Amino acid sequence: MRRKLSGGSSRRAPMGGRCGCGAMRAAVRTGWRIGAAAALRGQAGRPFSQAAGESGGAEGGGGSGSREAVERLVREHPVVVFMKGSPAQPLCGFSNAVVQILRLHGVEDYRAHDVLQDPDLRQGIKNYSNWPTIPQVYLNGEFVGGCDILLQMHQNGDLVEELKKLGIRSALLDAEKDQEKK
Amino acid sequence: MPGPLLAAAGGGPLARTIRAKLTEALQPTHLEVRDDSPRHGGPPGAETHFGVLVVSGRFAGLPLLQRHRLVHEALRAELAGPLHALQVIARTPQQWESDPHAPPAPPCLGGSKREQRRRDREEEEAAPGQQ
Repeated sequence: MRRKLSGGSSRRAPMGGRCGCGAMRAAVRTGWRIGAAAALRGQAGRPFSQAAGESGGAEGGGGSGSREAVERLVREHPVVVFMKGSPAQPLCGFSNAVVQILRLHGVEDYRAHDVLQDPDLRQGIKNYSNWPTIPQVYLNGEFVGGCDILLQMHQNGDLVEELKKLGIRSALLDAEKDQEKK
Repeated sequence: MPGPLLAAAGGGPLARTIRAKLTEALQPTHLEVRDDSPRHGGPPGAETHFGVLVVSGRFAGLPLLQRHRLVHEALRAELAGPLHALQVIARTPQQWESDPHAPPAPPCLGGSKREQRRRDREEEEAAPGQQ
C-alpha cells in the first residue's frame, strides 16, 4: 500500500475550499454518484437547518439532509461511509484512510456517499450524528466514529470483531492464518 | 514527518485557544496540540488543521466515541468556525503510561493541487501512458 494510514477527520471546507482538497475540480472530474441521496433530493421536505454561508445544492431545501433521509442512508447497508470523494478517488486524506482500512479488511462492498456532491447531506449527516467532521462510518446503522476511531479499532482488533458481528469475515483473519502456516 | 509540536505558551491564537479549552474541560495530565495546517496545502499560520493528544482521567471507562465527543464539545465554537479538521487521540493516564507514543501526523493525502500533481507524477512513473 502506497499511502500511510492516518488519523483525523475533516470538516466541511470554509468558504473558498480552504482545506486545499481541490474538491470542486476533482468532483467535476469524478462525477461520483451518491445513489439514494440523489434520488431523495427535490422531495418536498421541511428545510433542514443550514449553516450560514452554506448554500444548499437542492432547489427545494434540505431534503437529502433531513433526519429521515439520512436514517435511510445509514440503514442501507451494514457498512456505510460518508466521505469526501469516492472509494476509487478519495479527496481527503482522512477519508482515504477509512477506505484503505476497509480495503485491508477485505471490505469492498459498502455504501459510500460523497458529501462534496451534496451540501445538504454534508450538513445533515453532521447533525444526525452530532459529529462535526467527515468521514463518518456507520456499522449496522450505528455511528461508529471517524477516521481516528476506525484506525484505533483496526489497530486493537475491535474492527475485526465488529465486522464479524455483521457477518463479514475480515481478510486479515485469513492473512494471519497464512502467516501461521509459513 | 510530524508537524511542529507547540510548546505550552507557543503557537498561534487558535492553538492557544485549543490548549486552554481542553485544559479547562478535561484537566489533562498530558496534552499535545499540533498544527498540521501547513501540511494540508494551507499557508503558514493558517491554523485550520490540528491534531490533539489528550491524556485525561476523565476518559476512564468511556468508549472512544464518547471520549472524542468530550473533546469536540470543548472545542465546539472552534469546530463551528476556523477549525477545519481535527485529529483526536484520547487516552487515560494508564493507557498513556503503557504506551507513551503519539502516532505520527497524518500525511496530506488530499486532493490539493500540489498533492494531485505529485500523485500524477507517481502514477506516470509507475505506469506511463495509462489512464
